[in-house]
Amino acid sequence: MGSTSEKENYAAFEKKVERTVYLDNLAPYVTESVLRTAFDQFATVKDVRLIPNYLEPRNVPQCALVELDSPKKAKEIISMIVQYPFMISGMPRPVRAFPAKAEMFDDRPKNPHRKVTCRWLEPGDPDFEAAEEMKQLTCKHADEAVYLLQLQLQEEEKLAMHQEDTLKGHYKKYKMIDGIMDGAAQRLARHYGLRENNDSKPYFD
Amino acid sequence: MTVHDKDENIEFKWGRMKGKGGRNKEVQFYESFTYDGVEYRLFDSVYVYKEGEEEPYIGKLIKIWESPNKPKQVKILWFFRPCEILNFLPTNETRDNELFLASGKGRGLTNVNPLEALVGKCNVICISKDCRNPQPPDEEVQKAEYVFYRVFDVEHCKVSDKLDDQIADFDVKLFLNKLDSLKPVDLKELYIDEKEVTGKGMERNEVVVPPSQNNIQSMTREENGKFVEKLVSRSTEYKSSLGEKPTSNVGLGEACKSNIGFSCRVDDKSMPMVTNGNEDCNASLAKQKSSNEKQLASGDGLKRQLATGYDRSKKISGDKTDLRSKIDEGGKRVAIGGSTRQERVKGNENFTHDTNGLVEDKHDRKTKLDDSKRNLNANRGEGVKRRRFVHDDDDDDDIVETLGLDVNSSKDKKKLRWEKDSSNIEGTHSKRLKLPNEPTKLSHDKLHKESSTKSPNGEKKIDSCEFEVTRRLDTDTNKGLRFKGFTWEEHLKSAHEQGRLVLLQNLDPSLTSQEVKDLVLHAFQEDCMAKIIPATAFSSPLSGQAFVIFRRREAAEEAIRKLKKGCLLMSNGRPLVGSVGSPCFPQKRRKFCGHIVIDQLRMMQREMKDAVSTSHCSKSNNVEYDMALDWCLLQERTAYAWGKLFQRQGDELKKVEAKLKAK
Repeated sequence: MGSTSEKENYAAFEKKVERTVYLDNLAPYVTESVLRTAFDQFATVKDVRLIPNYLEPRNVPQCALVELDSPKKAKEIISMIVQYPFMISGMPRPVRAFPAKAEMFDDRPKNPHRKVTCRWLEPGDPDFEAAEEMKQLTCKHADEAVYLLQLQLQEEEKLAMHQEDTLKGHYKKYKMIDGIMDGAAQRLARHYGLRENNDSKPYFD
Repeated sequence: MTVHDKDENIEFKWGRMKGKGGRNKEVQFYESFTYDGVEYRLFDSVYVYKEGEEEPYIGKLIKIWESPNKPKQVKILWFFRPCEILNFLPTNETRDNELFLASGKGRGLTNVNPLEALVGKCNVICISKDCRNPQPPDEEVQKAEYVFYRVFDVEHCKVSDKLDDQIADFDVKLFLNKLDSLKPVDLKELYIDEKEVTGKGMERNEVVVPPSQNNIQSMTREENGKFVEKLVSRSTEYKSSLGEKPTSNVGLGEACKSNIGFSCRVDDKSMPMVTNGNEDCNASLAKQKSSNEKQLASGDGLKRQLATGYDRSKKISGDKTDLRSKIDEGGKRVAIGGSTRQERVKGNENFTHDTNGLVEDKHDRKTKLDDSKRNLNANRGEGVKRRRFVHDDDDDDDIVETLGLDVNSSKDKKKLRWEKDSSNIEGTHSKRLKLPNEPTKLSHDKLHKESSTKSPNGEKKIDSCEFEVTRRLDTDTNKGLRFKGFTWEEHLKSAHEQGRLVLLQNLDPSLTSQEVKDLVLHAFQEDCMAKIIPATAFSSPLSGQAFVIFRRREAAEEAIRKLKKGCLLMSNGRPLVGSVGSPCFPQKRRKFCGHIVIDQLRMMQREMKDAVSTSHCSKSNNVEYDMALDWCLLQERTAYAWGKLFQRQGDELKKVEAKLKAK
């Protein structure tokens, strides 16, 4: 326990966590190389890894860890992403960035300052009941989290649908205007002896 | 662990030479060698350790050589574990301990490795129904650490149960069970030992036993003098007798089961002693019987007693034969069985004496057989003894030790075979005699233990021992959880399909994968692969989760059951929750909402492709910016909701935790 190499190892890991940015709301087709190029614009990317998700059967967006060359850069990037919506491999849904936490690394080294112990409680143990209750609570909490995640996904879907509809509507409108400008409007203008192709003053002078 | 510490100076000795090769005839090939107290021969199955790999590889030695100024090398034909060729398995119906022999041509068939990479012999039995394969008896199959009957073609990545005539330019028969192993009694046992390097001391015991029935010396002589046929006939006789008294044997076998590992070890140590005693015994068996108790202490007496007991009653011999058969299962059982039989025969003799005698007999036989072995093993035997002692305290250690012993015995057997032609057998016997008596004493203790711990399920015990052995190997050589070439995802998939996957919840989120693995080892005494599920912004800061892959489905089910019925309270004051893991794997086409692509816009988007495929910050003069802000708003809202949820959950937990402490 707590040999120097372990401690060094852990200290190095903690530094690595500090200069790592956690990203989520990533599209499923985002790959490590996409992320690398995305952040190479701002800093030297040392390592990129997607956090695999084997637990959620739903379409949860991907999460990733991007290790940069310094904690300062990591902070800068996070504040930039918070300030300006940052989009990777698609729009308009922006990605989200937080400072990474140690728990996000599944290969993290063991904390040498801590010992783990455990003991079996028999049914007669005074703590047994409370422990049982806690187990149930854990399951309940897990279910709650699942439900909230479901809600969140529904909300996201709704927003996406809404935006798509709006965008489609806008698109239709502009296309119609385009169509009018291309043909009918010009003919009419000629017919009435009006000036054509005046963008700033389209129809009448 | 102690065992390893003692083996710092790894012993090495070449065995039989085979021939020379190379450009200048400077490469010397060998048929066998002894390394770290284990005799390896061509076509033995071996464990090969590779740095960084948790699981040792398993393969068969197909070439052994040394060239000047170069390290000793071995060429190994590989076995594949099912998990390594999961994608090519036609069905998932593989036995737990099934292996696939590499065949065909190309990468993955064989490799040349430094001899030092070998970590031990492995007991692999071929259960192919192919007519070229001598069918192994059921006990052998049960005892085997691994079995194989199918081959994996490395060229075409195909699994087949048809054995080609040649594998890696060797006749396929060389990779199958050896014919001799099918012969009954001693010979069979010997061969088995060879094959089953990992095998248990049991095999050795078996070998020894038959000679004890007759005069041990004569037996050994016969063996040495190539009187194999005689032995066979004897063995057949024994078998018949065995059939007569199977029930009694069973009881013995059961008793032996618990202490199999120990007895085996004992045998090794006491072997030399036994041989000495045997000679004496031959001279005056009756005398020996009378002085059996005294002799028991020395071990020789025990042997004599056994021999006498056998002579007295055919029934006894029958028992012995039964024992032999059982021995195949486990040397310990055999010894026990022998002791019990003796007891029955003699009636009032001390069980311990009888047991000792039996052990000794075994030892004697072994010693005779293993003339060459003894020389080699004198040192080993001592080491083995130490190991055995260690075993008493630690099951795992015991297993390891037994393995070592087995190896030795197997080596001995091999040597015996080789040396059958040699006339030096007697000389070796004398050497054996010189060996110290301590081993016999050990065996006595062990025997007592065995007898006291008799149980009806000897075979089961053996099985468990085997598991431990493999586990031990794994834990010894594996520091991580990875298997060669397989990703965690592939492991998850196969474990899920086989029901070996367990999801642990309520872990301290700061636990690491290694700690979870240790936790499981500690709590369930089961080896596993474990990996924590990395936290994300959506995961609870209160409860860490991890996937644990057990080696067996039963272990996983048992762990879940235990966690349900009992409570495993961890140092953070939280009980562990376990459930069947049902991972999901990312499909190719996953839905992701929020990236809008309008059909009509595709054209336009072509221009925007650069922007889409890479990344950009949105500017505020843009429709996209407005939409992105909508998303940011939603993200904020959900983050808030998550925060609230976790806060409330934390409060709830605190309340319950307060109860815990109050009590």
